[in-house]
Formats: sequence, C-alpha cells, structure tokens
Amino acid sequence: MGLKHDKVVPGREDRVAACMAHGGCASGMGKQDKICLKNNERTFSQAGLCQLLPTLGMLLTLPDTAVIVHGAIGCGSTGFGMNTAIRLHHVLRGNPNAKDSLWFTTNLDESDVVHGGEQRLEETILTVAEKYRPQSIIVLQTCTPSIIGDDLVGVIEKVRPLIDIPLLYSHCEGFKTKVWATGYDVAFYAIVHGFIEKDKEGPPPKKGPRQPGERPVVNVINLASMGKPDEIEIERLLNEIGIDVVIGPNFANRETVRRMTQADLTVSVCPTHDDYLVDYLHTEYGIPFVLKDMPIGLANTRNWLLDIARHFGLEKKAEELIEREESKARQAVQRFLPALKGIKVFISAGEFRAVVTGGLFQELGMEIVGLRSYHHDEFGTEFYEQLVRAQQGKDFPVDIANFQPFELINLLQKVKPDLFCGHVYDNGWAAKLGYPTITIFRIFDHYVGYRGFYEVAKKAARNLRNPSFQKRLGENVGSAYRPEWYQQSPFAYIKTDASPAAAA
Amino acid sequence: MSHIERPRYQCALGGALVTINAIERAVAIVHSAPGCAASADGAATVGAGYWGSTLTDGRATPSTNIIERQVIFGGEERLSEQIASTLDVIDADLYAVITGCMTDIIGDDVRAVVSEFQKQGKPVIVAETGGFKGDSNLGADFIWDAIVTQYLTPGLPKDNRRVNLFGFVPAQDVFWRGNLLELKRLLGRLGITANTFLTPFDDLKDLKDAGRAALNVVFSDVHGVKPAAVFEETHGTPFVSEPLPIGPTATEAFLRRIAARLEIDPARLDEVLAEEKAYYYGFLTPLTDLYTDQDFQRFGVVIGNVNYSYAVTRFIADDLGWIPYLVAVTDLLTDEQRASVVARFEEIPEILRPKLIFETDTDRIKERLNEELASEADPYGSPISPAYVIGSNLDRPLAAELKAGFFGISYPITNRIVTDQYYVGFRGGLRLTTDIVSALVANR
Ligand code: SF4
Repeated sequence: MGLKHDKVVPGREDRVAACMAHGGCASGMGKQDKICLKNNERTFSQAGLCQLLPTLGMLLTLPDTAVIVHGAIGCGSTGFGMNTAIRLHHVLRGNPNAKDSLWFTTNLDESDVVHGGEQRLEETILTVAEKYRPQSIIVLQTCTPSIIGDDLVGVIEKVRPLIDIPLLYSHCEGFKTKVWATGYDVAFYAIVHGFIEKDKEGPPPKKGPRQPGERPVVNVINLASMGKPDEIEIERLLNEIGIDVVIGPNFANRETVRRMTQADLTVSVCPTHDDYLVDYLHTEYGIPFVLKDMPIGLANTRNWLLDIARHFGLEKKAEELIEREESKARQAVQRFLPALKGIKVFISAGEFRAVVTGGLFQELGMEIVGLRSYHHDEFGTEFYEQLVRAQQGKDFPVDIANFQPFELINLLQKVKPDLFCGHVYDNGWAAKLGYPTITIFRIFDHYVGYRGFYEVAKKAARNLRNPSFQKRLGENVGSAYRPEWYQQSPFAYIKTDASPAAAA
Repeated sequence: MSHIERPRYQCALGGALVTINAIERAVAIVHSAPGCAASADGAATVGAGYWGSTLTDGRATPSTNIIERQVIFGGEERLSEQIASTLDVIDADLYAVITGCMTDIIGDDVRAVVSEFQKQGKPVIVAETGGFKGDSNLGADFIWDAIVTQYLTPGLPKDNRRVNLFGFVPAQDVFWRGNLLELKRLLGRLGITANTFLTPFDDLKDLKDAGRAALNVVFSDVHGVKPAAVFEETHGTPFVSEPLPIGPTATEAFLRRIAARLEIDPARLDEVLAEEKAYYYGFLTPLTDLYTDQDFQRFGVVIGNVNYSYAVTRFIADDLGWIPYLVAVTDLLTDEQRASVVARFEEIPEILRPKLIFETDTDRIKERLNEELASEADPYGSPISPAYVIGSNLDRPLAAELKAGFFGISYPITNRIVTDQYYVGFRGGLRLTTDIVSALVANR
C-alpha cells in the first residue's frame, strides 16, 4: 500500500521498522536485529511527542487554512507556540501582515465521551466554513474520538458536498504510534488527499515529456525546521545549474501542491522526513526522485547536487559550480578553523539531521564524541559508519531516544563534550550542565549548502569564544536526578524483549 | 458545549501538570499517551511569556507514554513500573500521578496502583485529570484537591498569623510567580506569614504543613474555590475569596479586610499603607503632565480570565480613571460560577460598570463588541474612541481594528518574556500604569 490507498497512515515502526529506544555504538548501528530494536521499551520514560504535534505544526503553515482538532480541549493547545514560529516564517517570506494561524477544538467533554462526537464535528466544520471562510479546512482526529469510535471518514464524506473548499483530514491519534515522525506522513496524507486525490477537480493529469530546451523543474520538499535562508540557498544552487524549483508542501497553497505533480524530479532534503510523499509522486505520477542525502556539509551537498544534476545530464555544470562554491566556502571558514580544531562535539536531533551535521563538523576538523537521534531507521544506517571512518575509527556512543533527557544528561556527564549541538528543547539540558551550545536549526539562519557550511562554522566559533552564559548556569543549577543515576549506564532503563532493563 | 476557537487554556491534565511543575521538588508522572504532556506544557511554557521549563518539566516530565497495546489491555502495570522507576531516578519529595483522556476512558484503576506505593510510605499522590473533563483551571482544582487530601499533614495546630494563598493557576496567570512574591511581601509587612507554594523559592515543607494556616485566601471567585472548601473540611482552615488586588485602591481595601480578619494592629496597618502609597504616588505624580496634557483617559476593553478581567477593570476604573466599556471573560464556567462573577462586577459603581460578556472565542468577542458599538447613537461612528484593549496576544488584531492602544496581560503572551514581573499591590499597579502608558508613547 502507499499514501494513495492507505485508509489510515501506518505507524513508522511498521512502515519503515523505525526504532525508538536503543543505546550502543556508532559502529554497531544497523547491525542489530531490526525486530529486536523495534521492540525496545523503556521502563522509565519521559514525555515524548505524539504524531499530532508535527502534523499540526506542518498543517498550520498552509495559508488561510483552518485546522479543526477533533478531540478534548487540550490536544491542539500547542498551537500558540507553533503560531509564533509560523508568523516568523511568514515575515521571512516577505509577508509581514500574515494572519495568525487559525485552529479550533471540538472540545469533547464527558457527555460527548459517552454519546459520541460526530455531530459536534459536523457542526464545527460547517460553522467554520461559513463563518471564517478559509481557503481549506483540515480535520485531525485525536485519541479520544478514536477510542469512543467516532467515524471520522463518515463525517467528512457527509459534509464534503456541502462546502465548496478543499476538506483535508487525517487520523493522527497519539496512542497509535510510538514514532511521532509518523506525523509527517499524516500531514502529507492530508495534503495529498485534500488537494489532489479528493479535490473537486480531481487529480491533475500526468505531465507529458519535457520539450527540448525546456528547463527541468524539480520539487524540493521543505521542512518546518528549514527557514527561508535555506530555501534561498537551495533555489540558488539549483537555478545556477539550470533547474527550476517548486518548494512545498509546507507554506504552499492548493495550486502549488497540485503543481508538484507536474515536476520532472522530486528532491528530498531529508529522506526520513519525506519518503511517504516522494513515493506517492513516484507511483502515481511517475516522477523519479532523489532520496538519499541532505545538503548539509560539503561532501553531502556535493553528493546531493550531483545526484540531481545526473538526472538531467547536468553533471558538468554541477561540478563547475561545486568547485567554485567549495573553494569559496573553504576559504571563508579558514579564520574559524584554529578555534574549531579538535573540538569534541555532541549532536542531538532527528537522526538524519544529526548524522549529516556530524559530517559538517568533521569537515571543520572537529570530532564527534556522542550522538542522540530521535529515532532510528534504515535511511541513517550507512552514515554512522561513514562518520566513524572519517575520524580514523574513533567510535562514539549513540542514544536512540525520543528526547528522554535523563539519558542525555547521564551520557553528557560521561563523554564531557567541548560543544553541544542540538535541536530545540535539547540545548537547554546541555547548557544547564555548563556545556557551550549551538542550535542545530533556527529558521532565521543558514545551515544548508555552502552558505550554511560557513555560517555553522562561524556560529560554533562564536559560541566557543564566550560560553560564559552556559558556564555560569552550570555552576548554579542543580540536578533533578538522584546521584545514583549518574553511576549507571545511560541505557539502563532500556529493555528489549530478550533482556529486561538492567535497572528494573 | 460547542467547539472553541483557539482555546486560551489547556485541558485538565495541563492545569494539573503546570501546577505540579511550579512546585519545587514536586514532579508529575503523567499516565497518558506520548503527546499529552508535551501538548499541555508546551502551550503553557510558550504562552506564559516563555516560562520555559525547569528540571523535571517539559520533555523531562516522567510519562508512561502508553500506546495502543495498553489502551487495549490496560495500563496499570505500565504505570506501576513507571512510578517505581521514577522514584529510583528522580530526586523529588512529592510525586503526582496525573492521567489523560485515554487512561480515564479505559478505566485504569490508578488509585489502586498508587495506594500500593502509599502503603510503603512513598510520597505519591494521584488525580484523575482526563482532558475531556475540562480546562486547565479545573485540572488545577483536581490536583489541589489531591494535594490537600492525600499529602497535607492532618491535625496540625493553627498559627493565627499564617495564611495560604490560592487561586493561581500557573501560566493561566502569566505573572503568578511575581504576583505571589509581592503578595507575600505585603502581607509580611503586616506580620503575616503567607505561603505561596508556586514560586521557585518555596519550601515543600510549607505545603506539607499548610494545615497550620489560620486562613486560606483564594484570589479568585472561581479558581481554587473548590479545593479551598475541601481544605476547610479536611483541615479546618476557613477561606475567603478575594479579587486579585491591582493598584492602590484595591490593595488598600484588600489589606484592610485581611488585617481586620487576622486582628492586625491598626497602627501598623496604617503605617504600611502610607508607605506603600507614597511609593506609588512618588512615581506616578511626575507623570501627571503627560497624562493630563495628552488626555490619556481611555475607553477600556478588557479580555481575560475571571481573575484578571475583574482586577484590571477595577484598576482602570478606580486608579487610572478610565471608562471600562466591555469586559469579556474567556473561562469555561458553570452557571453558578458565572453568577459569582456577575455578582463581583456588580460591586463596580453603576456609572462605570462595563458590559460583561462570557465568551471563549476571539472572533465572537469581536462580533459582540461590534454589535454593542452598532447600538450606540454616534453619527461619527466612534463611540469608544479613544479606546484601549487590555487582553492577550490573540486580541491584538481587535485593537488594531479599533485603532486602539493595546497591552497584553492575559494568557497567551508571546511577544515578551515574563520573569519576576507582577501587577498586584501598589507597586504592581505602578508597573501596570507604566506598561499601559508606555504602549501609548511607544511610537514617539
Ligand atoms: S497523545 Fe492523543 S490525547 Fe494526547 S495530545 Fe496527542 S492526540 Fe491528544
């Protein structure tokens, strides 16, 4: 099955054998029994995310769209945080007057739990359509209506004929999957079904072959963690070798999403993020794809560009561009290299982002001493090996954890890095221990391509030059964990089906 | 019930969670699906002026993260495992098990699980806080009820100079920490020890011994009232509901009532009042030229929760000398709670009493304000110009539409950071004047 025929988006533990709990060494990644990895559990665990949150974060970016969270009052409440980020994205996109994101809760209460929430959902959709007149409406099904047996699809198909705008929906109950990255798939599912498959005009027809002389067009799938500066860098590089781009589906409207079916190639910036959508465009529209690298760091950017160029016979142009850009970027980072040489770095983020950023740091003369990935799947496997090889076989610990700061803090105290580079809400833990930190993404900054290579080097050197904020914090903040915890293995609470957790 | 546009609160679980998060050396154990804790406190930590997270909050919140398997077969075993491991790993003195929608729906017997730990003398309490039961304010009531009945030491002798301060839901009152500290300082000046519980400087022991207080002061007509009644039943401490006192007029009235109740020396009271008022007017007086020459009197539109909507309205009416025009109370309330809010607003002299509406949706507030404006006989179409909106970040577009001044004081606030700012008391009133008027001169 796939995006088109799935009734409900499968959890990634099933679809790509994603693993959420594992502790080991970089050199061993991918060598363990997959099934065993998949079934690892924690006997002590800390709050994660659910798939609803990334879904909501992506879908709230669609302009003039109303999101209806079908459930109890609390599920969509992080909308405020997402709204601030999305507003800033819009500002960066030259749209300072963008409206605030709009979302609703169907607010199921105790009596609805007994009597069902379908009627409330129906009323909500109709009211929102009439009163707020959005360009599209998205309905997200959360845990509570799913447990009480609300028929989401039934309600949607009942009201679809009654409203004249695209109606998107998805099941994204948090309890259905451990792997919250499933939420990306869920968002793609809603977008594709709403704007393409079940659109009033039906799916756009397949595009014919390119005419001679016609510039190739590629889809670049963007991420909520990628800011405008990165999109500009990607567009610039591809334009320079003669390729036009369509960027979506985040922040895209219906027309842009439909245009994505007419491209000559789909390019992923993060394979782990995008494969479900990429596969759809391939199966239904025959659009080939590049789903391998992320253009972060010199080598990865090179591979990424060449893979794309190869599709259109543009390798030579790409090679020339790469030579020019690499030499400029290498020249530019010269002044930071002395400060970065031999710096031991710990990285924490979504797996793919973490491993490619590791490559970038190595290119700057730094050494990876630890890495935490939010989950593990096959897309990341070969990169661990590469990272170990690139630092002359020096292995490092890997923690596969959907956050779990207790493991991170324990591990950091053991490996004692010189620098920590983490995703949002990760850096704080390292900072409170006194380690210098740089954030692995920030929508205002460059991370991608050549400009990104330079900016990350600069950012790292700047933070290492004066880490007194973190240092002073480290001297003044206590620990939430018992002293005995630091004596144990950071992975003591991970149990596999075969072996119970050491500490349990 | 109906749907709600961008609700200005989280669910019951969220209110319980942020309350525990605000108590030093207390930690929550969330028994729910993986996203609930993050949803609830992600909203509170950003919307409350970037409150952020301390050491056992946010992504560090212990949580069972139950999934389909437990939803089908029950989650009690997993909860028991998680409580035991949390006791091993987390260094805290109070562990609060709180539940989400699905564990409440599938009917896990969480009380039985927790009682096993209580029998071993472990400081574990439990509250069922499934999100469908209501909003954060209700959830805060649930967890306070659990604390009062399961954690407090019973049978302590009373200290007639000791009070407990209640009615604050962290994040729902964005300034709860600063407000509590200032109230503590003021009462302290009268020789009264006030327990605040929800600031980073509180000692959990004061919570354990809260039964010693002679009086519970609930700074709300709604939030915290139920647990205060339970407190009275279990520990014999009576309570009073007081409006949040903002500015000299409200604060003086509040302190006089408390002083009378606790039989504080009147001379000491007068001395304190005189000094605090002198501070307020010492800074306010020099602003007189600006205020009068620029005609900074405004028609006020106040939007916020039960506590703030009344307190701010009183302040702008009594101290700033404005005309309160419309007040929107955004909480989800029962009929009885509504009635108590209405009664409270009736204390405002009729000539200054605003139109009071109960409305959860930002868009509906605008509609109802516009209906109100349309009914005014004003051929120039500007019945409330010059106007000023005091609300939350969600109300900025309304202010812009009215060409009104704007200041955000209620949840969510995302355009500034909040640390120890406060608006209660004399000094808080001065701070509010400063902030409100600053917005009027910001473009100069
Ligand atoms: S886990 Fe379920 S109930 Fe909790 S926030 Fe996610 S969708 Fe809502």
